[in-house]
Amino acid sequence: MELINAAEKKELERVAVRIRRNVLRMLKPGRSGHIGGALSCVDILTALYFKVMRVDPQNPGWRERDRFVLSAGHKCLALYGTLAERGFFDHRILDTYGDHCTKLGGHPDMHKIPGIETNTGALGHGLSIAGGMAMGLKMDGIGSRVYVIMGDGELAEGSNWEAAAAASHHRLDNLLVFVDRNGLQICGPTVAVMGYEPLDKRWEAFGWRVRVINGHDMDQILAHATNIPFERGKPSLVIANTIKSKGVSFAEGKVEYHYWKATEDGLAIAERDLQAAEERIG
Amino acid sequence: MMETLRDPRKTFGEALVAAAEKNPAIVALSADSSSGSGLTPFQKRFPERHIEFGIMEQGIIGFAAGLATTGKIPFVAAIAPFVTARPFEMFRNDLGYMRQNVKVVGRSAGLTYSDLGATHQSLDDIAIIRTIPGVTVINPGDPVDIVKAVQAAAEHVGPVYIKIGSPPMPVLMDDAYPFRIGKGVIMQDGNDVTLIGTGTVLSKAAAAAKLLKTKGINARLINLHTIKPLDTELILTAARETGKIVTVEEGYVTGGMGSCVAEFLSAEHPVPIRMIGVNDRFVEPGPYEEVLALCGLQGAQIAETVERFLECKHPLQY
Repeated sequence: MELINAAEKKELERVAVRIRRNVLRMLKPGRSGHIGGALSCVDILTALYFKVMRVDPQNPGWRERDRFVLSAGHKCLALYGTLAERGFFDHRILDTYGDHCTKLGGHPDMHKIPGIETNTGALGHGLSIAGGMAMGLKMDGIGSRVYVIMGDGELAEGSNWEAAAAASHHRLDNLLVFVDRNGLQICGPTVAVMGYEPLDKRWEAFGWRVRVINGHDMDQILAHATNIPFERGKPSLVIANTIKSKGVSFAEGKVEYHYWKATEDGLAIAERDLQAAEERIG
Repeated sequence: MMETLRDPRKTFGEALVAAAEKNPAIVALSADSSSGSGLTPFQKRFPERHIEFGIMEQGIIGFAAGLATTGKIPFVAAIAPFVTARPFEMFRNDLGYMRQNVKVVGRSAGLTYSDLGATHQSLDDIAIIRTIPGVTVINPGDPVDIVKAVQAAAEHVGPVYIKIGSPPMPVLMDDAYPFRIGKGVIMQDGNDVTLIGTGTVLSKAAAAAKLLKTKGINARLINLHTIKPLDTELILTAARETGKIVTVEEGYVTGGMGSCVAEFLSAEHPVPIRMIGVNDRFVEPGPYEEVLALCGLQGAQIAETVERFLECKHPLQY
């Protein structure tokens, strides 16, 4: 079954480019940010906010909205870029990133920007909070869903596995987690820093239903994000294989760009990369 | 008059059932800790509002925060160190920084589990939780306080920490007294010295005040059931009018209630302060009352400390 036609797919891909451009817009020369993990999850965020989730930028506190939790809060550049593109706030606010008293801190703050649901940053918190949201919605008979993006390095935090057990025990099948498996963390390849393979089996053993996809393929993302629960009574998880810094040629797949202090030259190359991507989409 | 003793955990559980009858948003979260926290009646009365997590003391705080975002008012009750020190970062970020309407009840707190040793004692909970901006910290001094604290916490919007013990507590307060978060209570007037008690050892401070009276020392006795926000008005008046202050708590003096009083008065109206509590040590196991005595927290010991304190003339002798 085709979830989107070719024209819709192209449009989503164009949105993803614009979000990547928003990410880079926040990084003026000399400003720093977690660009690598932000750019690896942009396509997932695009699919969620522009096709999957029921949200209303004019009414961000709408009780029956779907919730999104960015457990890996350091990827917030991607979330800021997505929320601006979706109309939650004015694009000009993006230019304040890094300023004193900006609403766009280095980790997200739900009290400062509409559309942000949690204050994450310390790793291993998001899944528990998302689980509580999913539980509360179910208790009230609200059919909303809770979507989460976690980093793969983050999975070494033991608190995630507490949450994984509780979500399964309490049958939270309104919960969908994307693990943004870009495979790199500060000290190197994630599997070398703290091995977690076989990751799918590990989650399955905790009672989740797991799928593995290419996290940059819009068709694959949508096929799974719109089809939950994968099994009734169980939480769903997608291992999204991604490329760190996706879309910026010189930074793709390089751990040095986990956190990048932007340069004028680098930003210029990145903009040329995005223009080329737009031309390819047509 | 015979003193009336009541079980603090049973009292808490009954108070929560009463609050939950009035407010359907209240839910109780258990980390394999409900029955030990007096929540069996809640579980029987509201099975669908009682959520079990097993021994999951980090995750449970995050789940509570998530539930609160949907409008629930979660009460998380467990042995005090396991819902304060262990998940401190979850408490700080998910409840404090996110400003979520969650109530954490640390029970069997202080030296209650005197025989189980330092792993199960909670002497630092006040010190660490009060550092979190926006968190209300309540340390009820008797069973009446516990009931009123639960009701007040249920009505207050924002994160609250309530500390309760386990041994039967004497009733000290009048059922009809108006409990307000952030407002201490003068239980006995006096102008020679102020004794500020909180929580499980309020009764010991009260016993000391009584003893001192027989020796001609009129101590002002304050029940400081709320440690944050601090009742600065009451404390400032006491400092001005009595000139010396003694604080009594079942917890580390480092960062505890006495520290709060000292932090405030050192800036506003410095007076000599003597803090009675647990000093810098892991306390050896033993029977509860004996362990309290080891820490100088029995009524007669407190009275003696106050007397010695009042005899001091030179600041360096304090």
